Amino acid sequence: MSRLISLNHITKIEGHAKLVLGIKRGKVMRCELSAVEGSRYFEGLVRGRRYNEAHEITSRICGICSCAHVIAAISAVENALGYSPTEQTNDLRKLLTLGERIRSHATHLYFLALPDYLGYESALAMASRHKADLESALRMMKAGNNVIRTIGGRDLHPVSAAVGGWLKYPKKESLAILKKEIVEAKKDALKTCKLFFSLKYPKFDSGAEYFSLVDSKEYAVLEGKFTSQHTSFEKWQYKDFVNEYHEPRSTANFVVKGDHKYMVGALSRLNNNHAHLSRDAKKMLNLSRLKLPSTNPFHNNIAQAIETVHCMDKCIEILESLDIKNEPVEKLKAKESGGVGCIEVPRGTLWHEYSINAEGIITNANIITPTAQNLLSIQEDIRAFVQSAFDPWRGKAHQEL
Amino acid sequence: MEEKKLKVGFYGITGCAGCLLSVIFNEYELLDIVQLVDLKAFPFIKQVNIDDEFDYLFMEGLVADRNDLEELKRLRKNCRFLVALGACSCTGCVPAYRNYTLKENYEHLLYRKQAGVEDLKPTPIDEHVKVDYYIPGCPPDKKEIVAFIKSVAMGKQPRPYESPVCVECRMNGNQCLLDLGKPCLGPITAGGCNSVCTNGGFECWGCRGPTKDMNLGLMVKILKEKGFDDKFIQDRMRTFVGLKLPMLEEIFNVKINIP
Repeated sequence: MSRLISLNHITKIEGHAKLVLGIKRGKVMRCELSAVEGSRYFEGLVRGRRYNEAHEITSRICGICSCAHVIAAISAVENALGYSPTEQTNDLRKLLTLGERIRSHATHLYFLALPDYLGYESALAMASRHKADLESALRMMKAGNNVIRTIGGRDLHPVSAAVGGWLKYPKKESLAILKKEIVEAKKDALKTCKLFFSLKYPKFDSGAEYFSLVDSKEYAVLEGKFTSQHTSFEKWQYKDFVNEYHEPRSTANFVVKGDHKYMVGALSRLNNNHAHLSRDAKKMLNLSRLKLPSTNPFHNNIAQAIETVHCMDKCIEILESLDIKNEPVEKLKAKESGGVGCIEVPRGTLWHEYSINAEGIITNANIITPTAQNLLSIQEDIRAFVQSAFDPWRGKAHQEL
Repeated sequence: MEEKKLKVGFYGITGCAGCLLSVIFNEYELLDIVQLVDLKAFPFIKQVNIDDEFDYLFMEGLVADRNDLEELKRLRKNCRFLVALGACSCTGCVPAYRNYTLKENYEHLLYRKQAGVEDLKPTPIDEHVKVDYYIPGCPPDKKEIVAFIKSVAMGKQPRPYESPVCVECRMNGNQCLLDLGKPCLGPITAGGCNSVCTNGGFECWGCRGPTKDMNLGLMVKILKEKGFDDKFIQDRMRTFVGLKLPMLEEIFNVKINIP
């Protein structure tokens, strides 16, 4: 008996992906996960543009992580031109990144993941019986959105971050309102932890290496070395470690380190950074009884829930210490140069690299998204997971297919 | 008699999903909209998507390959009114800027192509099918999406905002960025965004598309006087709405000479 299963439009994901599974006599013979989005060639679009235009263009790569692309692009350009941002600029960039992580995790956990665990077709369908949960999700999304709008000027594709500084500073009063709102939303984040700890996750071990930035000072956001259970390297060394290869049927790039598949994202960050979690996030980690490092991709939801608490605590901490001064944007002198920007964004580590000529024009660009890095691991995890359902000690699935 | 709710769907072709997120990021109001209409399809957040006879179908994204075109044509047949949601759908947005870049800038990326799916010229959806309404912007204003749905649910005709960004920008009390020497495209760009970019200190890049009565020649002249070169001006104007500004070619070929 052989069967070909083709899911042409996977729902409840951001973007468009397709899965093809070929199964013959209880063996998974074929498993292909591919992004089926049309190609947009962003790395080509920024060639010939000025160095301070890259972030506005590349922001359009991804709606839910547009802040991420803005900051990664700006960091790469500043790295090329030899500029280090001020502490205040760094704090504002962190807020933007953390706010984005809060709303992205809330959206993923409640709108994309939870309905599958509770047996609903969508979060909206849960409204009648799980109204309180849905409201928690919306409050957290709102808090994240408000961080981004207050700091960056707009919910999506923020406008105030710039190469060399910040274009318009938020008012003190709005920062105080923001803080209050996050303090409120944190109750929801704690509830979210308990909810997601109570769900049943399949036992599964992905053979992947779990990579994220690791910073000696804090739970990684903008700085650190790219690190896994086995190895660690500096941002600028990425070309020696991260290889790119191309599958003929996919528009996204698969990236492997050496010959290993690897994962980036919340679980990787938690594995590598948990010592730097906020006090309440640490409490939640203990409550979850999660054994770290975990290589079970289903635990990513638990990691996202814990991270949401941490990100809120971190936002509150920054907002409490932030005393906005009107620093003008530093005008950077163009020179022939190259730079790498690498930051932690909701779904993992994001890389931007640019070459700039003496006139300040971008001559080359390379962008590696978390999804491109994760796609191979996700595909191989699906293959192994489906196969496990056919293994005799796992029950009757093989008879049904 | 109970009124029949409008059947509504939200779909996306090639894009960043930011417009669909803008619908969801209405937070509590999202729940109101869902009450107001019969939400038949929203594959981004729904598993069950019933894909027939929509009254209003909101489409995010642009046509970048054969799959996009087939999906767009299929859905057009299934709806009474097609609403272009966001800049990709309305103008082609940043991905359609490829029409104005040199092939050598992106051909080294072509080897990443998926076999068997042919790239098409990146274009807004109205180059392929009839579009009934436009909700412009990158991203579209999330409140505008709610306002649109509320008005059609009440049987009212939504109207596009036609004044330039400068009107709202002035009302918001911002200092003119052109006066500060920034290449702001506010004067030729349709507002309705509450001048969100200039409020944040960032010059307008024109994402909501040109106003009907813009003076493009004068805009080019002003930018030249501010010291911006021809290539910069063309690139900037074409980043979001290049295909909606065919007159730029004429302006730059004829060597601009406006009094």
